[in-house]
Amino acid sequence: MEPLRAVHLSKSYGGTHALKDVSLDIRPGEVHALCGENGAGKSTLIKILSGVLLPNAGTVQWNETPLPLGRVHSVEAHGILAVHQEPVVFPHLNAVDNLFVGREPAALGGAWLDQSTMRKKARAILANLGEELPLTQPVGDMSLAQRQMVSIARALLHQCRILILDEPTASLSARESESLFEKVNTLKQQGVGILYVSHRLEEIFRLADRVTVLRDGTWVATSDIASLNQEALIQHMVGRDITQKPGSGTAPDESKNRPPILEIKNLSREGVFQKISFKIQPGEILGMSGLVGAGRSEIARGIFGIDPFDAGEIIYLGSPLSKGFTIQDTIQAGMAMVPEDRQQQGLVLPLSVETNLLLPSLREFQGPLGLKTKAMRSSGKALIEKLGIKTETPDHPAHSLSGGNQQKIVIGKWVHRLPKLFILDEPTRGVDVGAKHEVHRLIRELAAQGSAVLLISSELPEILSLSHRILVLCEGTIRGELKANEATQEQLLKLALPEEARRSA
Amino acid sequence: MTDATSTHTTPPLKRALIYLLSHRAAGLFLFIVLLLGIVSVMNPAFLETQNIKDIAVQAAPVCIISCGLMLVLVSGEIDISVGSMMGLLAACMGAMVSESRGHLPPGMAIVLTLGIGVVIGLLNGWLVAYAGVPSIIVTLGMLTALRGVTEIVMGGSWITDLPDGIRFLGTGAFMGIPISLWTALTVILVSLWLVHRTAIGRRIYAIGSNPHAAYLAGLPIKPLKLFVFAWTGFLTGVATLVSVPQLSVVDSGIGVGLELLVVTCVVVGGTAVSGGLGNLSGVLCGVILMTMISTVLIFMKLGENATYWSRAIQGLFILGAIIADHWISRQRKS
Repeated sequence: MEPLRAVHLSKSYGGTHALKDVSLDIRPGEVHALCGENGAGKSTLIKILSGVLLPNAGTVQWNETPLPLGRVHSVEAHGILAVHQEPVVFPHLNAVDNLFVGREPAALGGAWLDQSTMRKKARAILANLGEELPLTQPVGDMSLAQRQMVSIARALLHQCRILILDEPTASLSARESESLFEKVNTLKQQGVGILYVSHRLEEIFRLADRVTVLRDGTWVATSDIASLNQEALIQHMVGRDITQKPGSGTAPDESKNRPPILEIKNLSREGVFQKISFKIQPGEILGMSGLVGAGRSEIARGIFGIDPFDAGEIIYLGSPLSKGFTIQDTIQAGMAMVPEDRQQQGLVLPLSVETNLLLPSLREFQGPLGLKTKAMRSSGKALIEKLGIKTETPDHPAHSLSGGNQQKIVIGKWVHRLPKLFILDEPTRGVDVGAKHEVHRLIRELAAQGSAVLLISSELPEILSLSHRILVLCEGTIRGELKANEATQEQLLKLALPEEARRSA
Repeated sequence: MTDATSTHTTPPLKRALIYLLSHRAAGLFLFIVLLLGIVSVMNPAFLETQNIKDIAVQAAPVCIISCGLMLVLVSGEIDISVGSMMGLLAACMGAMVSESRGHLPPGMAIVLTLGIGVVIGLLNGWLVAYAGVPSIIVTLGMLTALRGVTEIVMGGSWITDLPDGIRFLGTGAFMGIPISLWTALTVILVSLWLVHRTAIGRRIYAIGSNPHAAYLAGLPIKPLKLFVFAWTGFLTGVATLVSVPQLSVVDSGIGVGLELLVVTCVVVGGTAVSGGLGNLSGVLCGVILMTMISTVLIFMKLGENATYWSRAIQGLFILGAIIADHWISRQRKS
């Protein structure tokens, strides 16, 4: 069978080129990785290939005939299917309806749905994926991983010949990713060509046969994965050399006599986490590692006053927080938290970059006749410069920025208040390599200025390179504490796995 | 947290409450039975056939429009113009058939009335789906504008001379059951088919459940929205035809406040204002409950104040329903 060829595709919005003259081919039975920083044009390319967007120029060809573009249905009919980044499901509908909506098998032109066929087919596809899902439950009640499986099953409903996976592991735990990889390999052996987009380089080296790199909307390189190493790939992506030294974390001055900024004693919440105790010194970055669901985010939310806890004590700057403290109290006391889901919890997307940056400190700019806009402008500009946020003006809305720059705002909006404690929950999720590097630099700077940082991350290299000490959580308890410059990825993973899995591993 | 842990720790009474509130039809049904029990003990005349029939006839047009409005809400939009739309359609119908005005044959007037309903619905839908105006704004504008047009059509006078052919739609019966009830039954059956057995029905739920996913799945979002508004316009026409001829006089005030009653019924019936969620059995129970309330109050012999109470209670129900939805989604999450 012929490969699918994208030929000289271009797409621009207004004056800016999202994609410029990009060509690429996907062979049957290969995993073709697509790499690039955020804003490199990956999603635009995927949207064109899957028929969501119409390109300004170029064609997609199969067996020398051009495919109809700009219409999802006709592209799907050719066997090209996409699983988009966030699990794209209809939460109120059940699994069967999710699979079939938009392409229902029906008599009389959609006037009579053949529900028994739908159910039978759905069961067969899920069985082929090795998944057992409840068919009648609303998909919104399922776990993220299950929803992801529903999206993938939706793609496989058609005779699938090209499967596009956009960041499929972004919301999965390590174990769930593992089972996804198996499925990718199965499909590959069945002759399906897979276009695989991921920020996680380990995955690309594990799964891909070839890799194509995009940068700023243009094609940079396509090569066999065997002829590349991580450094070379990163260099292609960012166009400059950024080598990370792993394990560079050294504890601050180890001065035991300095009082800790935060001390947690026997913090427990029924069914979520038990007897959590730790301290963080000024200037220290404490990593919290563990699988998704180990209770890390919940502990952070408890400390910050978002979620309640049942027992235990939180001592902050030497004095215990009173029972029933709220987010207002913790912010007032100088804590800052960067939540896991930046777009929903950390940013007001339609508001300007400047407003977002100064939102937590507005009180300071309160004058007798309203806000002091001049002072805000100069503080805003200073922050934008300090954080290295790429925006045309401070007035641009936050949603116009790339993911990495948005993340800098989410962290940076606290910087102005000089917090004593930063709680960062997955600060670089979905952020591209270049921006990740800058976020890391920002975190190190915060600690160097004397703030304490509690860092939650599922990425082992990140937690190893940034933290001074690492706590590993498993099923709501602390499984171990490691010094970052002595720890390895294997050690962390071993501690993070629950007992049963560890025995079989 | 998993379902397993939350059901372990939830007391059975609370669990039952969650079940009844989230299976809205079951909960409302129980509530209706309870209410019937109480009122029939206080005043047995409530259960007389004529009274039940009266309530049913009152409920029929509300039910017909609710079937359409439910789909509008499911698709993630809202339509608060149906009351004024009914006012205009009644005026048009009256003017067309009145011997002193249009003097058209009833059959033609029926088709034209339904047609005008569809056209207004299409206009609503076009403004929402293609011009991109939020539906609350579009239909709020229509609420006022259509009432204005109604007054122009009526020209400051009333219509009292409806011919028998039209009169029959409101007062006639088949096998002892009023035409309006047969019509409502038909609309319910068609809606059940539309919701459960057609591709269009599933897609309407899909676009309301997750518009972005619908876009990526290539669903025809705009035509679907156009359809739900046009369908609601059509059903408003149907409701007008079977309810207005019951009245002896057509004036320019028909249908005032109806949009609120219909929205209340649909929302009390468990349809999510945010889209994607709603079922006909719940909406049907909502309609029965809300139309029952005013009669129940009269039979409880509260005197002249009963009508004032009925408005207040209608409001309480809509707030209660929304609070219940909110509470349930919170219970689910934790």
